[in-house]
Amino acid sequence: MSAVVAEHDDHHDHSHDDHAHGPEKGLLRWIITTNHKDIGTLYLVFALAMFFVGGIMAMVIRAELFEPGMQFVNPQFFNSMTTMHALVMVFGAVMPGFVGLANWMVPMMIGAPDMALPRMNNMSFWVLVAGVLLLASTLFMEGGAPASGWTLYPPLVLQTGKALPFAIFSVHLLGISSIMGAINIIATIFNMRAPGMTLMKMPLFVWTWLITAFLLIAVMPVFAGAVTMLLTDRFFGTSFFDAAGGGDPVLYQHIFWFFGHPEVYIMILPTFGVASTIIPVFARKPLFGYSSMVYATASIAFLSFIVWAHHMFTVGMPMAGELYFMYATMLIAIPTGVKVFNWTATMWKGAMTFETPMLFAISFVVLFTLGGFTGLMMSIAPSDFQYHDTYFIVAHFHYTLVPASVFILMAAGYFWLPKWTGHMYNEKIGQLHFWLSAVSVNILFFPQHFLGLAGMPRRIPDYAVQFADWNMISSIGGFLFGASQLLFLYIVIDTIRGGTGEKVTDEVWEDAHKHSLEWTLPSPAPYHTFTTPPEVIPTEHF
Amino acid sequence: MNKVKQLFVALGLIVGAIKTAQADYSLNLIKGVTKVSNDVYDLHMLILWICVFIGIGVFGTMFYSIYHHRKSKGHVAAQFHENTTVEIIWTIIPTLILVGMAIPATKTLLELDDVQNSDMSIKVTGWQWKWEYEYVDTGVHFFSNLDEASNKARQLGSGIDPRSVPNYLLNVDKPLVIPTKKKIRFLFTAADVLHSWWVPDLGWKKDAIPGFINEAWTYVENPGTYRGQCTELCGKDHGFMPIVVIAMEQPEYDAWVKKELADAKKGADLSDQSPADLIAKGEQIYAKNCSTCHLPDGKGVPGAFPAISGSAVVNGDINAQANLVLNGKGAMPAFGKMLKADELAQVITYTRNALGNKVGDAIQPKAIQELLPKSSAPAKPAADKPKAEAAPIADMSKDDLVALGKTVYGSNCVSCHQAEGQGNPPMFPALKDSKVVNGDINAQIDLVLNGKAMMPGFGHSLKADEFAAVITFTRNSLGNAKNDMVQPATIQKLQAALPAEDDDE
Repeated sequence: MSAVVAEHDDHHDHSHDDHAHGPEKGLLRWIITTNHKDIGTLYLVFALAMFFVGGIMAMVIRAELFEPGMQFVNPQFFNSMTTMHALVMVFGAVMPGFVGLANWMVPMMIGAPDMALPRMNNMSFWVLVAGVLLLASTLFMEGGAPASGWTLYPPLVLQTGKALPFAIFSVHLLGISSIMGAINIIATIFNMRAPGMTLMKMPLFVWTWLITAFLLIAVMPVFAGAVTMLLTDRFFGTSFFDAAGGGDPVLYQHIFWFFGHPEVYIMILPTFGVASTIIPVFARKPLFGYSSMVYATASIAFLSFIVWAHHMFTVGMPMAGELYFMYATMLIAIPTGVKVFNWTATMWKGAMTFETPMLFAISFVVLFTLGGFTGLMMSIAPSDFQYHDTYFIVAHFHYTLVPASVFILMAAGYFWLPKWTGHMYNEKIGQLHFWLSAVSVNILFFPQHFLGLAGMPRRIPDYAVQFADWNMISSIGGFLFGASQLLFLYIVIDTIRGGTGEKVTDEVWEDAHKHSLEWTLPSPAPYHTFTTPPEVIPTEHF
Repeated sequence: MNKVKQLFVALGLIVGAIKTAQADYSLNLIKGVTKVSNDVYDLHMLILWICVFIGIGVFGTMFYSIYHHRKSKGHVAAQFHENTTVEIIWTIIPTLILVGMAIPATKTLLELDDVQNSDMSIKVTGWQWKWEYEYVDTGVHFFSNLDEASNKARQLGSGIDPRSVPNYLLNVDKPLVIPTKKKIRFLFTAADVLHSWWVPDLGWKKDAIPGFINEAWTYVENPGTYRGQCTELCGKDHGFMPIVVIAMEQPEYDAWVKKELADAKKGADLSDQSPADLIAKGEQIYAKNCSTCHLPDGKGVPGAFPAISGSAVVNGDINAQANLVLNGKGAMPAFGKMLKADELAQVITYTRNALGNKVGDAIQPKAIQELLPKSSAPAKPAADKPKAEAAPIADMSKDDLVALGKTVYGSNCVSCHQAEGQGNPPMFPALKDSKVVNGDINAQIDLVLNGKAMMPGFGHSLKADEFAAVITFTRNSLGNAKNDMVQPATIQKLQAALPAEDDDE
């Protein structure tokens, strides 16, 4: 791309060149685009759409659980909903949301004109769409969508109807898309940094994505392998996971969680990155402990590979295995604690203001820490014998995903929308959206701790009457949270169409240009940026 | 005085009201009724308080900062961005706290794992969607299903208020009974998919995995009823396979075992019944055992569970249907192991004459009993086999033996060795041209009497004449022509010399 621009620079003056190399006209622009900003937008719009699709499934779940007794759906469909809700949210909403942010922000943050591999960038997006659509199509197949939970444990998953091979192929497509995206991000960060942008000067968001990309490349093939073994067990007579043929159903769980544990960190590490980007800007202070943040992120990524069986304390592992996985899991608390302390120290003695992105970022720190505490509790194997597969774990991972990853995706939206669109969002409605979300998300998930401790298993469509009250409160929280997100949709559309009408400056937020390169660019960011590298490199530690 | 009384009554009511409310808004982990469950609870509280303590410190600092270090209050940002001492301190202190947690956790884990020196063992098998309990020491054996009242109320649009059902979804038709003050070892496995057995009051859960056996143990101090559920997603009725454990004092428990064993001896009622009776009783059995998959109206779930209504199997040959029900196929479990002969006859007759089917025929318990594998006949025909037939049996002609042998072969050997004796190598050897069948007759008799590897021993399950007949049949049919034979009397002597069959089997 830059070569093309350079060639034209020989013949035309600069302004004419900008005009000639604007986006394609019409729908085709979005299909064939290789521009990192266009592809970033596609990813973000797709993620938002899938957030609502997965959200509707969550509403079905909470509606059925509103009261004891079966009111709306049959148990099989309920199981399909829990399975599809998880798969759509993980692979359709959260992961693409962060890939969208990476596409938009990584080149702008490191002073690169685009991603290193723009055509592959386009392909990885469209393969993702194909994968998610294929997955969604299983809802309409004979026997219904997969209903064995997103973990797809055999032998149950092998009882899936016609949907099984389609679901497996869609996992393959999602994996290919993720791997291509990850290769692209690594290639961009390693090859396209502006002169002077050393690794230890990169914004933390870039660092966390670099590490996340390596996690993706390492574990997506493992998941693809596991589901391929399911495929051959079902259709080609192998017995990888069937004891009657010499296999072992628990083997699948080991393979799955070798993928699954890094996978949950794939969703949380970029979250850390965005939080570390937003908090210093609104505290008007450099990030505290930049290098320890980088090392903590790398440590968490490393630990994620050696703790997988803490998801399986009840499968009957040997004592040595139980002890090892318990101790290793407890270690994660140390680098995670360092991060939380660093964010707190960044706020300490700052000059804080509380615009919507900062509100979401602060509530992320608080609520993610709550999720971390329950994670620590569950690392204790004997206690996990009680917590495992109850609503306690449902509360735990939703605290680390919804008021963490999802809140930070929204914070990122508020933070960078002015840069992307050149328009300011409506701060009043933004704050209303924040308070509604922050209150309702706790009404939704906090009671689930109590339900789990009182003995309610997860993934059940109906429950004993002593669980009725907290379930009803949780459902009310769920409906409120779901409805509040319509405000976010409104704000995004409103901002794109002009927002408050206020002209935003290049740096948007006070002194933001000190923190990162994107705030040195005009707002909205032009279609092509950094065709010549920037000269001054701001650093996280000024 | 009256006013004081009123005050006390009012206070009592308030406390009562709060207590009732708390019952529904329970907040904390169940403490449970065993030492282990109490240890787990203490561990839970320890970590919880540590988390609360750290949380107050971190969030307190954060909120202090949020309140005081805000721009609107005119606070000017400091520009520090690292402090090595502080960073080392907040890495080391959490490490020490973690070590402090790991020590009690390790102790409790070791305690939970110690299944040695148990007083008795119970084998628990998870099925879609019920639990099977086998008392290894006494031979008591039964299935435990969701109770009927909950099952009715939990149907989509049943119109029954779950609050009106006692212990809704936490009640079973037949609970697990255990003695108090005994160390009980549980062995877990599953018949189809993964399940997990959890009674919160006992303090642990354990996965039931097909093809593997897991162990766990409990020691319950006091009598009581403890309820739990399956906690590993196992298909559509995962939420509807509860567990109820009743702990009894030893004498009561012994009486219960005695009654269970006596009930099991009674076995199936093999007397003929009128089709109307069969259909009427079959309806209940269908509701309990079949309707979860094939649905109460017999419509099934396309793609997963075939419909009963209009089914080719149900409307076809009654013996073929009976065989399928008895032996299972794919996701359909073998009900020959779960139901008694009379129940099987009832439910098969029911499906053929209800749920939109009108075949108009019936099958009697006796016919089912014939189809059931002999060794698993629920009632061992009251020890009349070896002793009552002690009188020598008359010799038979070779043709008679071959003719009888053919039917015996048809009901005992054909499923493995196949109709033409071609077998199913490598698992099941061919009888046609077999070295054993065409070799020394006594060696063959020995093998059939005692079994070998996959081959069961038929010494106890076949009568002497049947045994002699089937041996003779294999040697003179199925493509073999040894032209020799064995007489029932010879077999009878060999059978008498066999060790007695273990009663617990």
